[in-house]
Amino acid sequence: MDSEAERTARESLELAFQMSNILDTGLDRHTLSILISLCDLGLNPEALAAVVKELRRETPTTTSISTTPSAP
Amino acid sequence: MDDGQAVVDLVKQLVNRLLAAALPAPNTTESTTTAQRHHQQALRYAVRILSSRMTPSIAADEAAMAESITRRLATQGNSSDALTFADLYSKFALKTGPGSVSNKWALLYLLKAISEDRKTHKKLAQSDSRVSSGMFKMSVPGGLPALFDSESNGSSNGISDISRRKFDKGRRDDNLRNLPLKETPEKGWSGGVLMVSRDPENARDMAYREFANLLKEENEVSEEVIVRDVLYACQEIDGKYVRFDKVIEGYALPDRVKVPRATRVMVRKLCELGWLFRKVKGYISESMERFPAEEVGTVGQAFCAALQDELSEYYKLLAVLEAQSMNPIPLVSASASSGNYLSLRRLSVWFAEPMVKMRLMAVLVDSCKVLRGGAMAGAIHMHAQHGDPLVHEFMKRLLRRVSSPLFEMVRSWVLEGELEDIFGEFFVLGQPVKAESLWREGYHLHTAMLPSFISQSLAHRILRTGKSINFLRVCCEDRSWADAATESAAAAGTTTRRGGLGYGETDALESLVTEAAKRIDKHLMDVMYTQYKFKEHCLAIKRYLLLGQGDFVQYLMDIVGPELSEPANTISSFKLAGLLESAIRSSNAQYDDFDILDRLRVKMMPHNTGDRGWDVFSLEYDARVPLNTVFTESVMAKYLRIFNFLWKLRRVEHALIGAWKMMKPNCITSHFFSKLPRAVKLQLTLTSRRCQVLWDEMNHFLTNLQYYIMFEVLEVSWSNFSNEMEVAKDLDDLLAAHEKYLHSIVEKSLLGERSQALYKTLFVLFDLILRFRSHTDRLYEGISELRARSADPSLPARDKTKSGRHLSTKSSEPGSWLGEGRKALTQRAGEFLRNMGQDIDSISKEYSSLFGGFMSQLPVQQHIDLKFLMFRLDFTEFYSRVS
Repeated sequence: MDSEAERTARESLELAFQMSNILDTGLDRHTLSILISLCDLGLNPEALAAVVKELRRETPTTTSISTTPSAP
Repeated sequence: MDDGQAVVDLVKQLVNRLLAAALPAPNTTESTTTAQRHHQQALRYAVRILSSRMTPSIAADEAAMAESITRRLATQGNSSDALTFADLYSKFALKTGPGSVSNKWALLYLLKAISEDRKTHKKLAQSDSRVSSGMFKMSVPGGLPALFDSESNGSSNGISDISRRKFDKGRRDDNLRNLPLKETPEKGWSGGVLMVSRDPENARDMAYREFANLLKEENEVSEEVIVRDVLYACQEIDGKYVRFDKVIEGYALPDRVKVPRATRVMVRKLCELGWLFRKVKGYISESMERFPAEEVGTVGQAFCAALQDELSEYYKLLAVLEAQSMNPIPLVSASASSGNYLSLRRLSVWFAEPMVKMRLMAVLVDSCKVLRGGAMAGAIHMHAQHGDPLVHEFMKRLLRRVSSPLFEMVRSWVLEGELEDIFGEFFVLGQPVKAESLWREGYHLHTAMLPSFISQSLAHRILRTGKSINFLRVCCEDRSWADAATESAAAAGTTTRRGGLGYGETDALESLVTEAAKRIDKHLMDVMYTQYKFKEHCLAIKRYLLLGQGDFVQYLMDIVGPELSEPANTISSFKLAGLLESAIRSSNAQYDDFDILDRLRVKMMPHNTGDRGWDVFSLEYDARVPLNTVFTESVMAKYLRIFNFLWKLRRVEHALIGAWKMMKPNCITSHFFSKLPRAVKLQLTLTSRRCQVLWDEMNHFLTNLQYYIMFEVLEVSWSNFSNEMEVAKDLDDLLAAHEKYLHSIVEKSLLGERSQALYKTLFVLFDLILRFRSHTDRLYEGISELRARSADPSLPARDKTKSGRHLSTKSSEPGSWLGEGRKALTQRAGEFLRNMGQDIDSISKEYSSLFGGFMSQLPVQQHIDLKFLMFRLDFTEFYSRVS
């Protein structure tokens, strides 16, 4: 049974990865798997998307990072 | 909290990975510490976001989500991508069970959100084209574009609101800082225009936001809630804000709720539907309550059922609208909607058609509140005369159901003669009567219950058909009408079972009724003529009651005459019955059918003292069921009157003929005549001459009158009646023909109301004639007595034997008388004759005056045949010249 579940999980991840590629989200497999688990645990997808966006944004504006998170 | 721990771990991992992916290759230790601080900050930030309880504002429908993603891909021109995505999704969706992703929708949403954001971010970074479409404008300002999406308007909660605004502010500053960087290269390019629209996103954005705020301030209640309340109101349920106001008798928003006036007015208009619904529903529930009390009939029930069907359609619509109303209303954007939402305006469009229908139903309910049965169906039919096809269809549906009980009743009445009408809704009413008046009074039309789509003539035919069936069943004891019924149904194309007919098929009903009527009538006529021998009985009545059988009447008169001269109370009817029998046997009547002769009886009418037998004697004919439908009591009374008149006429005729027997010249009188002295001779001649002349006049009158009555009145009427009997199609026709026959007889033989005076004159004349008869009797008796007394020895040999024998019996007297001599004889005779002459003179005068009066009155009569009588009586114009 476990192998069954494993296989299903792998295939699902594969499909999800392909979908995310089509949608050009720039997520890799590992990140995607984390996100999937978080979703399944009941976290809000909108919030997660926000997190991803924010943390991505961090990169180009690392210099002004001090100002942005100051907003409570 | 294992779960919680797992969550935190995962989040940490995520943060790490993301930062790792974002950051370029790790640098020196300095950057690691900053990186670590960075990490911590990021982690805190992430946790804060996650715990902010941001909720997506759309329903968790994974298929719809996949659909929308596919569509977006397609519209962006990547149709191959779209197809691939669809394919992948279908495979993905099939993965269920352990190990698969359970919250697929969340994942899809996530992917979509991330990809959108990336796209816009990329676009921003490149920023080649001016962002002018509203779609991007919405997503540009603010780092959390999804938050400010059009979908999340009313249902947002406080914290996200605040966080949104704060982030907004932050982002705006960011943008302001960012934008100049981007736009400087183009600033010189488009000059003033650009300047104006330099901050298009922000200005418009700000305007939207301000508008949203304004709306929120003005409306205490959001539009969605109002819409939902209106939907409740349309099902007669008080919503949170919209309530039934007894003052204005309708649903409205109470004044204390703060909404703009336009909304209030619109709500009021939409709630008209609720008011109408309330009325219709009220009527239905009221009828249901009243039903056990048997005030609401079957038609009323059918009406309620039809209304309830329409209402269930209405409920379906409301259910769909309610499902749609769950979707939030996009506030101010032209962006893609999140499924069908429902605003007040859209509601008013949806309500247009149900409003029309509900209004119709309310109008019908109002007009039918007090009506029942056929009247209700008729009222609804009047409303159905409408040009609008929608209304027409609707009414037709309704009417079909409402009139089905009525049609059912018609069908069972017409084909089986059954009246199943517990609630008194049918237009044929029956009442229990005796068998003989079943036809005339058993059933009649109740015009109040006649629906307007059934015409009067059709209703009459329906009534007659059912009546015929009942008549056959009750009076004629005939069972074979059921065959006729099935035949007619087959001919009309329907069946004799229930439910064959419906509303729109009045033609079908008419044809069914016509066929049934035709067959049943024919059957009834057959039964009447063959089984009950109606024609024969009519003829028999004519022959006996109307004195058509001449020889029988003659014999009867001869035999019964002496009896009837006695006072009425000494006559026994048994004796008369016996005499009747003998009269029948001695005439041609004996060859008649036994059944008919059996019904002929003597009837003694109630008499007063002083009446002679002549006044109370009459014949009667016993007509049994079913013939006594035609020959009712009143009809037989009429026949009796005619019989009396005819009988009197005959009697007078008989008397006059009897007088002639005596008066005609015979050898006795002539011989006597020759013996008399001259003076007496003259007187005798004169008297007898006058007598004869008077007799002749009377005879002329009576003969012509008799002829007129027997032939011109009776025979002609009878032949007319026979012809009409041939063509009579049903019992009503037959009854009418018979009525006409009797009426014409009565009118023409001076028995009617118009001829009262003439009738009296006639009877006086008859009395006079009878008096004349008795006078002539006396006269000739006297003459023969005189002759007897004045017997001469020198009688001629001719009558020697007769008179001799005659004389010898009276021989005691003549001697003394003869002894007186011829003088006494002459004197006596003269005296006698003078007296007689005077009497006869007076009679003659009276007769002339009466007759003159009669003749003068005749022309005044209306009836054309009386003119023929007059002509006959006066063909020489003797009387008119005299007068």
